[in-house]
Amino acid sequence: MGEQVIQILLAGGVMLAIALVFGAFLVICAHFFTVRRDERINQVEDLLAKSNCGGCGRAGCAQFAEALVKGEAKLSDCRATPQANKEKIAELLGGGEIGEETVAVVHCNGGHSCYDKYDYQGYGDCASCELIAGGVKACPVGCIGKKTCVGVCPTGALAVGDGGYACVDKEKCISCGACIADCPKKIIGRIPKSAKVYIACSNHGKGKEVMELCSHGCIGCGICAKNCPAGAITMKEGLPEIDYAKCVGCRVCVQKCPRKCIKEH
Amino acid sequence: MTVSLLSVMFTAVISQNIVLSQYQGICPFLGVSKKMSSAAGMGFAVIFVMAVSSVFCWLVYNYILLPLGIDYLYTMAFILVIASLVQMLEMAIKRLSPTLYSALGVYLPLITTNCAILGTANSAIVFSSYNFVYTFCVSVATGVGFLLAICLLAGIRLKTDRADIPKCFKGFPITLITAAIMALAFAGFSGILAG
Repeated sequence: MGEQVIQILLAGGVMLAIALVFGAFLVICAHFFTVRRDERINQVEDLLAKSNCGGCGRAGCAQFAEALVKGEAKLSDCRATPQANKEKIAELLGGGEIGEETVAVVHCNGGHSCYDKYDYQGYGDCASCELIAGGVKACPVGCIGKKTCVGVCPTGALAVGDGGYACVDKEKCISCGACIADCPKKIIGRIPKSAKVYIACSNHGKGKEVMELCSHGCIGCGICAKNCPAGAITMKEGLPEIDYAKCVGCRVCVQKCPRKCIKEH
Repeated sequence: MTVSLLSVMFTAVISQNIVLSQYQGICPFLGVSKKMSSAAGMGFAVIFVMAVSSVFCWLVYNYILLPLGIDYLYTMAFILVIASLVQMLEMAIKRLSPTLYSALGVYLPLITTNCAILGTANSAIVFSSYNFVYTFCVSVATGVGFLLAICLLAGIRLKTDRADIPKCFKGFPITLITAAIMALAFAGFSGILAG
């Protein structure tokens, strides 16, 4: 009986001793090996969007926060963080450009209204379709609608709708730029989040050429530019360009466009 | 001595591969094998931790547990040693070598709960009662076996991710099938060093 008690006490005692020794080592290590780093890095990291989207070109928000504090990155490189938080970060770091809040848009509303060159039955997404004669669409800058952008979007903001082209949900979009980089047609761009309208076509071609390809393509008629009361639209190489600083959001261009390729945002 | 050490190490890498024939460390094997770079990082981190932890476990087992006659507590003791050791290593690496930390740092806490580490310590120190040198070499070899297996799987997954496989097999099902076929292939080595 006595021996058993000793055995139990011995086992418990030894384990406790080992645990204590290792615990003490951990405390000592923690004391000696703490890495002193700028407190602001943690504060900045807390204010960032923490979506780890990689849109700034760094591995994640932690690395971006470190680069920000060291002055190696600009606050405007991050597009996912809300404006209010950016202002706080700028205050914390003593200034710095905040940059305008933007969202991605797909500059195409062709989809099913754009003719198919051939019947694509292969495997994969837009990137694999693009390899065969520049994609299935007759328009060289028409959305293929095979969801490459949908696949790369970290927030699920993109979807290919009934029209057969991709659309961005501006509430979900954090403007990280993953879709912009991966779209094989390069027809996704950024516009200010406050924008009311956008050009939903990327084809710079002449009117007749575009008409043959797509019933929703911009023919470069210039009606939008002539009718814009604020003079915010200019024609450039057959496509209208909106100066969002001047745009008042009256949507006259949306109504006047004969091809319905200026869309409300 | 050297010949048998080599054969034991060869066995640990290939024919008794920790993942593919002993089914330990499956979690990181499946979870961290999506990209080759992270698979290699995980593999090297496992080698590192395995080598260091088995050395400490050997010391604790042979100089503390055995003389006191409480060797039946080895599992608890090893878990204690491994967990605190990994913590310590993480802190030390963070301070001493930021480069190594950024390469292995993410994987170190994951390894604390990797059963392969504990399994190797158990089998080498307790079941096979190897001496110090053997224990160290066998743990390194086991880690190399893990690295080999996870890198092979990562390479195959790069291919299967882009291949036209039936939708119901996409993702984990095809990965599990791949792992099973790899295990079969490794089973082919099993007779080589039997003698």
